[in-house]
Amino acid sequence: MKKREDEFYIGYVDGIGQHTKKTVRQFVLFGLLAVILIASIFAFTQNRFKNSTFELATTTKIMGVYHENPYPMLKVKTGENTFKNILLLGFGKFSANPYLKKIRNKSGSISGSMISIEGNLIYYNGKTLLQITNDEKVTLLETGQAHQAPRPSTIAKNMELKGEIVDPKCYFGVMKPGKGKIHRSCAALCISGGIPPVLVTSDDNNISEYYQITDQNGKAIHKDILPFIGKPSLLSGQIVQLEDWYQIRIDVNTIQELDLPSRIY
Amino acid sequence: MGVNYQTVLWNKNKKVYDKWIGIGILVYLICFIGITVATNPATSIETLIIRAFGTLAIALLHIVLVIGPLARLNTNFLPLLYNRRHLGVSMFLAALVHGGFSIFQFHSLGNVNPIYALVTSNMDYDSLTHFPFQVLGFFALIILFLMASTSHDFWLKNLSPKTWKRLHMLVYFAYALIIMHVFLGAFQQQPSFASIGILIFGFIIIASLHLIAAFKETRIDATVTQDTEDGWEYVCDVNDIPEDRAKIFIVEKERVAVFKYNNQLSAISNVCKHQGGPLGEGKIVDGCVTCPWHGYQYLPHNGQSPPPFTEKVATYELRIQNKKVYILPTPLPEGTEVTPILI
Repeated sequence: MKKREDEFYIGYVDGIGQHTKKTVRQFVLFGLLAVILIASIFAFTQNRFKNSTFELATTTKIMGVYHENPYPMLKVKTGENTFKNILLLGFGKFSANPYLKKIRNKSGSISGSMISIEGNLIYYNGKTLLQITNDEKVTLLETGQAHQAPRPSTIAKNMELKGEIVDPKCYFGVMKPGKGKIHRSCAALCISGGIPPVLVTSDDNNISEYYQITDQNGKAIHKDILPFIGKPSLLSGQIVQLEDWYQIRIDVNTIQELDLPSRIY
Repeated sequence: MGVNYQTVLWNKNKKVYDKWIGIGILVYLICFIGITVATNPATSIETLIIRAFGTLAIALLHIVLVIGPLARLNTNFLPLLYNRRHLGVSMFLAALVHGGFSIFQFHSLGNVNPIYALVTSNMDYDSLTHFPFQVLGFFALIILFLMASTSHDFWLKNLSPKTWKRLHMLVYFAYALIIMHVFLGAFQQQPSFASIGILIFGFIIIASLHLIAAFKETRIDATVTQDTEDGWEYVCDVNDIPEDRAKIFIVEKERVAVFKYNNQLSAISNVCKHQGGPLGEGKIVDGCVTCPWHGYQYLPHNGQSPPPFTEKVATYELRIQNKKVYILPTPLPEGTEVTPILI
């Protein structure tokens, strides 16, 4: 029987023994197959992404009646007697308010004023939002359109809703996913920066409804709600309709965390 | 081996090694991104980058961690160990892309510093369900950064091999942090039997290989010398040592390698001064004991690296009687000349 050669590999010396070469080749081949398998498993097992859109590279100019109940929105005419209320947001994880300061300083209250804004649209499932990145692109066109601004109307005095509190900017398009545990820290940062909290509910048929969250007096909530963001929760309060948006007016102390996995879409 | 520090002492084997690292990374990214875009096209570019590089880093970390025990179990795997640091640095860069994009995406552009936001945006540190998993990934990234940035012989020399080794053993702590980061983060939001299963399988492979390698080393450590008279301890029969190779023995709790070459015997410390490699698993090449890990060399009769290199290891005195090899258990100062004994 032929004695096997005493192979010894030295990295800085060219050449490699036959047995060593064979082992290394087998390892590399196995490694490549493992890499393909791991990539396939991680890629195939991702949850479905929703078809939300954030037009980061495109700006759109919209015009409508500004109102804040309590969150900045623009009521935009989309057709004959049809309107859409677009939620206004700032750049990054901030509200729209810093970008409206300039025209507020010039004209005082701007509620009920006709305003044009150029920004990036965010939209999903019937809701539209607009990111403002430059206060120079906010123009006051006309004051005194208050009669066109939507008025909140109560549709239920006390209602319980199960869902997850999200930041609408990420949820409706900027991030995928913009919900759940992975996104929770980001949502907390967005809401603490002034972006309105929104409750997302989902029924058994995965049909979602969205509720802007305010305190019991209809005032904005931000920091007080942070511990509940991104967790399935039970909220109870008055339901208010603001044309194509709902609001839930709550006492944050009554929010109950539910020990459930997130089901929202 | 090198006298002066250079960024990389390139040679043919390192180039081939790096070429295959590049190919592996490319194959992974093409597979992950291709499958995601084809089957889940509503993804965003940021999410694609975060997930592709995060999962790539995990895959590379598993490969890095199996190479060590494989090379201890079978010397045919030693070429994989030789340039493992490049694989480690590649893994860190993949983790950095994942971590950097995640910090920018989730924790930047807000009303507080991104790192402060990362640590404080979710304060449920007392809950396993809601635990801020990002913090675990962040600390793992810091460890990987420390390892990658010191992954050069300059740092090995200046930190001392012992400190350097301790620092680089933190890779196991980083691995634990990364596993928890994934299980308390991604797997909570999108649990899947296959993806959880493959990480558990990876853990079993890594743990098993380390245990088997450790078992092999405990058998070596069980090869102790036996007391005899006059302070000399019996080591082995001269025929037990292969030509140009060594046998490793525990002498006074230290591993010693007894080499046979050119019809003579010499004994030196088993621990290479470079990264603590097992010199006794090396070979006499060009008259020098050559470390199996990175090819550091020592003259067997004095434990000194041949000039211009300056590394030195302890030497031991041997004697031979009736084909039986005996050793004086007290090590001589590093680099002490000891006349080889003739067989």
